Amino acid sequence: MFQYLETFRVQLKNNFVRQAVYRTNFLTSLIADSIWICIELALFSVIYANTSFISGWTKPQVCFFLGIFFTSDALYAIFFQTNMWNFSNLVNQGELDILLTKPINPLFLALTRSMNLGSILNVIFGLTIASHYATSSGFQGGLHWLKLGYWLTVGVSTALLLRFSFCIWVFWTERGGAFSRLYYQFFTFATKPDSLYPKMIRYTILSVLPFAFIGSVPARALLHGLSLEEHLHILAVLLGFYLLNRTLWRQGLKRYQSASS
Amino acid sequence: MHLGWRWEALKNGFRDATAYRVEFLFEILGSALVPASIQLVFWYALFKVGGSQTIAGLTHADLLTYTWVSMLFTQVRGGDHDFELQELIRTGQLSQYLLRPVGVVEFTYIRGLAPRLFIAALSLSAGSLIAFFLKLSIYKIFAAMTLALLGNVIHYQIGASLATSAFLWEEAYSVLMIKNMAVNFLSGELIPLNLFPESMTWMWKYTPFYLYVYGPTQYALGRWSDAEFFHALILALLWIVLGFFMIRLSWSWGIKKYLSLGG
Repeated sequence: MFQYLETFRVQLKNNFVRQAVYRTNFLTSLIADSIWICIELALFSVIYANTSFISGWTKPQVCFFLGIFFTSDALYAIFFQTNMWNFSNLVNQGELDILLTKPINPLFLALTRSMNLGSILNVIFGLTIASHYATSSGFQGGLHWLKLGYWLTVGVSTALLLRFSFCIWVFWTERGGAFSRLYYQFFTFATKPDSLYPKMIRYTILSVLPFAFIGSVPARALLHGLSLEEHLHILAVLLGFYLLNRTLWRQGLKRYQSASS
Repeated sequence: MHLGWRWEALKNGFRDATAYRVEFLFEILGSALVPASIQLVFWYALFKVGGSQTIAGLTHADLLTYTWVSMLFTQVRGGDHDFELQELIRTGQLSQYLLRPVGVVEFTYIRGLAPRLFIAALSLSAGSLIAFFLKLSIYKIFAAMTLALLGNVIHYQIGASLATSAFLWEEAYSVLMIKNMAVNFLSGELIPLNLFPESMTWMWKYTPFYLYVYGPTQYALGRWSDAEFFHALILALLWIVLGFFMIRLSWSWGIKKYLSLGG
């Protein structure tokens, strides 16, 4: 365990040094992320200019949800997003070879090599938005903020497991671009509260493709609480995805043919 | 104008885009279905769940029609070939193009245009069917598609100019992403722009993005008069002229900064 923590610390340091060199790029990525947040807020502002409720959600509640969603997504972006984009190159170009020779779990190395520290600002933005709208959205506040850590962990874990389940097919499909694009197309469903969706889509994003766990379910849990069944359902779905990914990774490694894969 | 290499570049671009058919299909389906599904979700939540009768004076049926018809034009507006330009600058591969007797900006556009033209043709076929069922004018759909194709040119011109920031900084990826996010929101592919309250209309009125999807859709649906359409067409042509000069200026400036060492 200590070995993994130490490796992670070194990776974090290396990434910080690397990104500090390219300051302008770091700055523009910060601006890009901030504009994405502004656009999502503006989209709902336009809708709420025409109505007071969307599927029972008031504007402050939706903004609270967006705050939680941005924070969760930004944490995922800091630690895992770049590695997921690079994953297909690892397999296609045989770069996985070098990771397989290291005395540490190659998947751990593959998923923690690159970090996008530019998304730190998004974590701050997300938390600021959530805290700004907390009272008006009906969030009880106080000690209930402690639950935020748990729900952000659920959100980041979901994003990681889901994204990996879209990446892993590169062992079979040669190019990972199509599945990556497909992931980001489905990801759009995560950017809205799940109760907005018709039953069929809602069922899908709460089970087979649990994009709602990234921001919507955590926000709903913080605002209104969840039943025991719902908690168990979330754990079961995430465990299912973990087992699926582990099996696919092992099968993929058997199929991996180094640079000629 | 010598068409020989342009025709070859077009064919090459089409072959390249369709070499991986599954990816190509995903891209078409994704770029059509995702914006449409977001719209449908909002209409469902507002009308079916919320019980609203009209939103900004539009009924549920009006908004559904907008969604279906806008899908024809969201297909055409896109294309990420401006990202290819920034990649050429960033990696230093631009040097190879500078030795060739073709303009890199035009060459990259023509290669990227090929799949868009194919999609435009498919969209026109689908549009003919939609026109039949929704009793729309087929001529208006063709005219609207022309405006959407002009929008495609403007979109690339803006992207090609922004890509030159890669000459100055390490890369222009984030700048192009910002542009794409603004286009998503302000082109009318996520929501019809007439839902914007009066205080927010400046956001789209002073950009050319509404000429990509919202304008063509409004005209195809008969919600824009011929005069409004021709006004938009002239505006699009003016933007193209402006874009031409923007590219000339930004690239002549950028090339002077280019060190051929990876940008």
